[in-house]
Amino acid sequence: MKLSFSKQDEQFRAEVAAWLQANLCGEYETIRWRGGPGDEHMYVEERKAWERKLHEGGWTCIGWPEAHGGRGASIEQQVIFNEEYARAGGPGRIGHIGETLAGPTIIAFGSDQQQQRFLPGILRGEEFWCQGYSEPSAGSDLANVKTRASFDSDTQQWKISGQKVWTSLAHESQYCFVIARTDPDSVGHKGLGFFLLAMDQAGVDVRPIEQLTGTSEFNEVFFDEARCGANDIVGLPGDGWKVAMGLLGFERGVSTLGQQMLFQNELNEIVALAKRNGAARDPALRARIADAHMGLRIMRYNSMRMLSGGVDDGALQKSAMIYKLYWASWHRNLGKLAMDVLGDESEILEAAPYQLGRLQSMYLFTRSDTIYGGTNQIQRNIIAERALGMPREPRG
Amino acid sequence: MEFTFSDDQRVYQQSLAAMLAKEVAPETIRGRWSTASGFDPGSWQQLVDMGLTAMLIPEDLGGLGLNEVDFVLLAEECGKVALPEPLVDSALVASQLLVDLVRCNSDFASRGTELLQQVAAGTVQVAAGHMINPYLNFAAEADWLLLGHGEEVHLVARDQLQLQAQKSLDPSRRLYRVAWTPSAASRLVDGQQGAQLWRIALNRGALGCAAQLLGLAQAMLQQAVKYSSDREQFGRAIGSNQAVKHLLADCAVRIEFAKAVVYRAAYTTSVGPARADCAVSHAKVAAADAALLCARNCTQVHGAMGYTWECDLHIWAKRSWALDKAWGDNGFHKNRIHEWLLNPRALLGAEYTFGASNRAFDISTEPLTAETSS
Repeated sequence: MKLSFSKQDEQFRAEVAAWLQANLCGEYETIRWRGGPGDEHMYVEERKAWERKLHEGGWTCIGWPEAHGGRGASIEQQVIFNEEYARAGGPGRIGHIGETLAGPTIIAFGSDQQQQRFLPGILRGEEFWCQGYSEPSAGSDLANVKTRASFDSDTQQWKISGQKVWTSLAHESQYCFVIARTDPDSVGHKGLGFFLLAMDQAGVDVRPIEQLTGTSEFNEVFFDEARCGANDIVGLPGDGWKVAMGLLGFERGVSTLGQQMLFQNELNEIVALAKRNGAARDPALRARIADAHMGLRIMRYNSMRMLSGGVDDGALQKSAMIYKLYWASWHRNLGKLAMDVLGDESEILEAAPYQLGRLQSMYLFTRSDTIYGGTNQIQRNIIAERALGMPREPRG
Repeated sequence: MEFTFSDDQRVYQQSLAAMLAKEVAPETIRGRWSTASGFDPGSWQQLVDMGLTAMLIPEDLGGLGLNEVDFVLLAEECGKVALPEPLVDSALVASQLLVDLVRCNSDFASRGTELLQQVAAGTVQVAAGHMINPYLNFAAEADWLLLGHGEEVHLVARDQLQLQAQKSLDPSRRLYRVAWTPSAASRLVDGQQGAQLWRIALNRGALGCAAQLLGLAQAMLQQAVKYSSDREQFGRAIGSNQAVKHLLADCAVRIEFAKAVVYRAAYTTSVGPARADCAVSHAKVAAADAALLCARNCTQVHGAMGYTWECDLHIWAKRSWALDKAWGDNGFHKNRIHEWLLNPRALLGAEYTFGASNRAFDISTEPLTAETSS
């Protein structure tokens, strides 16, 4: 066991910090610290430009293999990049779905042709992705997707019809990865396909959903015979579930570290506020601030332990199935802590009609954390049955 | 970065686990409850034979020269079986305090080295009575006791002090109030040196507690999973109900996530025990949280059986409740963390997770620098 970074890693840290200091300024000054959870709708164009700037410096997709245009950065280097990025106030990454989900999935499961066609756009920070998983009748029960894909032998294209929901950033994305049923007679996780679908076409209709915050980060997406090329299915018809689950594995990998950096910035802001407004003198709030700090460190140590291969006991962490439940509950509590540290000011908006302060926005956003990506209740079922081996519940 | 245990460390853990599984069963623990000493010399000898009393003593002082990272998994195993004998306090705290005393008092070097060789060989037992613990567990088994007079450290022979037994909530523990008279002859270091040594001893003691709590928690969860899979009501196992599942899933998450914190604290203690205050306090809080949650939820899952003396679960639950208070309670350790966290000079960024944070944690004795520790 050796819990420190090597000399080379520290040099890498200096390189990242120097690049950010030289580039995250001037026209990009306004987007520092912006675009995090609850703030994703802000400065979208500027943040897209920033993605291209990152690419110029070679800082997009650093964990991808060099053969695919990445740096082949080690886990340590990715950790360091995330740390320095957050420390510098780097804006929320609008390309994160492409970089951390679509890209690694295409690298792992996609054809050469798919890799050549889709990876460069993600790498250059020019093409953005969204995730077409959930449907009105397929939430916790994701395998119940109803969206259909049928192959049209005349046009040699797939035709996709159905509805997705809770689709983050669909309105800013050029592509969507979609799970759809290729075998109309199938049920459950069999008979699904995994499609790479262009959003800019007549058969795709994106309608924003207004959230508790009064803003719209996610959407309903309707497909009405949307077209998808014969070569744009990942794997074979019927492989969709395998690919979709492989992708969720990436979701729980290194990308969690970036999220933790945002959490750290939020906690720092709360600590600074508490010191400023006197809340830090309240013993009950002090204890809760300490709890929040400890919880975040717990997530961090565990991610690092998991990523450095230190977890060799049991199925619990292999699939990282416990992480969602932990961070979601932690972040929900952080939201409440922020409001309590704000005190009476927590109720007062910044401006009409419904302009929230950052912590207010964060508080409202965190009401969704324990729901999206698998509710706390579903996570506990999974942990009990798959990790602890408890008896399965009778299912209808 | 390498957040892993070596094969050797895992093998040592497995062989200890195998030995304890044979030697320390619930029936034999209950057997100790009715004896005066509560101490099983046979089990102790097995631990000595496996090298546990020698492992943390440096090689030049007659031991095996291993460190806290090597030991933490073993302490966890002791917790899993709710080992009554005070191995963890003895090996991790008392003998290490003796080592520190040998290093900082040259007049004591030859006597101390001799004592350490006897400790390593298992022929002598030494206990450390820290001011944070009003009662000393298994004091009657110790031949020599390291005790504080103010911050001074004294070495006192067992027959030079009076022990007053106190019954513990946990029938496996044997607590004593210790009365003694300090003298110039018993004093090994003065208060100034002693303060630092006691502080380090506290970190080691709390780390040992945290590792045992982690083991206790796992053992309780395992029993409740088994019970809820076997016990049927309404024609099916009670564990198939979500309300029962969720109680135990929460335990599993709390345990799994406490592990990295405890292992991290072991590492920090091994590289700088005087700088490990916050790392250790975090570990103690996280592991005690896990064990207390398991004690509560696993009792609940056992239903009325869980409230009986007959059901073995309380062997682990009562130890958890005792160790939660030992070596500083939740309030003490949380205080150490928020005193640091809300200090205006605290270095808070994520970049300090493993590096400079080790220094920043120790706000009273170290300057706050941004250098990286080893």
